[in-house]
Amino acid sequence: MRSLGLDVLWKGKNFLRLLGGLWVAVRISLISVAVSIALGLVLGVLVTGQSRVLKALFRVYLEIVRIMPQMVLLFVVYFGTTRVFGWDLSAELSAVIVFSFWGAAEMGDLVRGALISIPRIQYESAEALGLSAGQAYRYVILPQTVRRLIPLSINLITRMIKTTSLVMMIGMVEVLKVAQQIIEANRRTSPNAAFGLFAVVLLLYFAICWPISRLASYLEKRWA
Amino acid sequence: MKKTSKLLALLLIGALTLGALAGCGGNGDKSAAGNGEKSAAGDGFRTLDEIKESGVVNIGVFSDKSPFGYVDENGDYQGYDVYFANRIGEDLGVEVNFVSTEAASRIEYLQTGKVDIILANFTVTEERAEEVDFALPYMNVALGVVSPDDAVITSLDEIGPEDEVIVISGTTAETYLEKNNPEIKLQKYDAYAEAKTALENGNGAAWANDNTEVIAFAIENPGYTVGIPSLGSADTIAPAVTKGNTTLLDWLNDEIVALGEEEFFHADYEATLLDTYGADYEDTLVVEGGAA
Amino acid sequence: MDFEVMRAYLPLYRDALLLTLRVGWQGVLLAFFIGVVCAVILHLRLPVLRQAAAVYIEFFRNTPLLVQLFFLYFALPKVGLRVGAELCGVLGLGLLGGAYMAETIRSGLESVTPIQSESAQSLGMTRMQAFRYVILPQAVSRSVPGLVANVIFLLKETSVFSTISLMDLMFTAKDLIGMYAKTMECLTLLVVFYLIMLLPVSILGSFVERRLRHAEFGP
Repeated sequence: MRSLGLDVLWKGKNFLRLLGGLWVAVRISLISVAVSIALGLVLGVLVTGQSRVLKALFRVYLEIVRIMPQMVLLFVVYFGTTRVFGWDLSAELSAVIVFSFWGAAEMGDLVRGALISIPRIQYESAEALGLSAGQAYRYVILPQTVRRLIPLSINLITRMIKTTSLVMMIGMVEVLKVAQQIIEANRRTSPNAAFGLFAVVLLLYFAICWPISRLASYLEKRWA
Repeated sequence: MKKTSKLLALLLIGALTLGALAGCGGNGDKSAAGNGEKSAAGDGFRTLDEIKESGVVNIGVFSDKSPFGYVDENGDYQGYDVYFANRIGEDLGVEVNFVSTEAASRIEYLQTGKVDIILANFTVTEERAEEVDFALPYMNVALGVVSPDDAVITSLDEIGPEDEVIVISGTTAETYLEKNNPEIKLQKYDAYAEAKTALENGNGAAWANDNTEVIAFAIENPGYTVGIPSLGSADTIAPAVTKGNTTLLDWLNDEIVALGEEEFFHADYEATLLDTYGADYEDTLVVEGGAA
Repeated sequence: MDFEVMRAYLPLYRDALLLTLRVGWQGVLLAFFIGVVCAVILHLRLPVLRQAAAVYIEFFRNTPLLVQLFFLYFALPKVGLRVGAELCGVLGLGLLGGAYMAETIRSGLESVTPIQSESAQSLGMTRMQAFRYVILPQAVSRSVPGLVANVIFLLKETSVFSTISLMDLMFTAKDLIGMYAKTMECLTLLVVFYLIMLLPVSILGSFVERRLRHAEFGP
């Protein structure tokens, strides 16, 4: 085995390009997760209400998100909207829409699950103490819900960061694509670059996702 | 009630999926017929004049297929296709905006007008010609098969029923073997680096690909021989534009013919491919002035 | 939309579905097994094993399957360990899924307040009885939505199998589009086959979830 291809990393702007690619992945994920959490809270609260129509619609939405491959969603949003409506969405906006569409469903379902897992007696106690429905949500129910959501939403963030490599299908260049580009550009001079680069990419993903997970378990413990 | 909502859910999913996809297909047909009131915007492509006016031409290229389309260590696009793309930009008098494409999204980019031209090592085939318009070719492709020295395969008949042949998804080698030798088991990868490592690790009996690639591989890696240097019919590689974009297609064809006068593609080969393939393949590979 | 073309592609998609299911279910089973073991280790705070499980979970949760597979399939042969593509797929899914399952089951166990275990013991149950009859049933029913989501997530993760030459549904679709350029037809078939594969899991999941909630809260 000749070099492991780590020298390739320091050629020109290669390492900076990798970091730039990582930033693209992280940026899309963070924006999408933020949108997802906001929409998910609203959806979850709405769905635990009385309306059967809302419940049915939510189930449909959930099944679509669960079953549709994200690649198809990317194609539909990026290319499909151009064909049908003539909109020219940018690749990044399309990616954020697709990932938020996915995240909001999962978050909504998590919020729903967390809300219904809170015993009815708590609502009743809150009412008995003279809290309005809004106040009960604000001071009793939501704090508990959010706490239960933390480990699960972190799961979602890290999964999103790792799924962003799909955006290469719509022309966005993120960390994995940069790695492939570097491997291919140097295939002749360092054929083993794949190993070194994939190792570095692995570490980069870990370096991003791990602190997020740690933060989550810290928050989980503090709020418990 | 539960049952009803489940059924409803199922029906809705079905309807939405079909609606979305059929909607896409239907609209594609309409644009081919051309809707008169709105000129180009509604047709899903930009005419030659619109491109010139905007000052930018969007060209879809590969960003990880060295030496045809790749990105160098400074983040700049390079390669045989890119060299040609830059010349197109120069002669149109506009900037080139490179869009990184994958094999599976090339057609979609053109059909939605998200790029004006695809220059991503696009082999001309009947099936593809139904979806997009190809200009004159600028390169030849033939197939080759490389195998380890201790079990060289010199003809497709030598491939046993248990042997697997490594190919890369979306290449002409794959299409050819699927069509003409369906009995051969293929082991498909979606990237060059992976296919080559698989061959080295002994996961397949041989690797079939463009002959230029396999010859270069055998030169660089002792222990491998190209047992079948040329296979099947000769194919060509050409630029593609959105179906019906005649102004751009005509301009490209004129451009390719004109470039033939100055032996442009020979210069392109010498600038981008010489390092990999040496001078021997220049005349087999290069198509000048669109003449096969 | 060309239905003739779609019919011609059907056998390819069927093969891909069978492969995805074969590899997927073995991977899911392995993942569930690893997940339960790790979750119990973490919950009971077994020394040494606990640290090992934590490292394993952190590592596999924070790196992509694609890169994990790459190492299993391409790097191990370099040190003399040849692993077949399907086995790699099962191992990869199992190791990745195990880390997620462990977290889901653990947070289920954790969501049952310690006072319940104490109350059960004060009623004369042993610690094991309390775990078996009080903690575990509640933990499992709270984990079910998460577990179902994990199964679906794992089955969808098979989409990166193209790296190790396994013709799963996603690779089949991308491969056919690359060769024959029938984008709409290929993507429609992809959606239909994902539907065939995932809808039963999803429906079964919500059914089981409802039954378990029934068990937990009574009629």
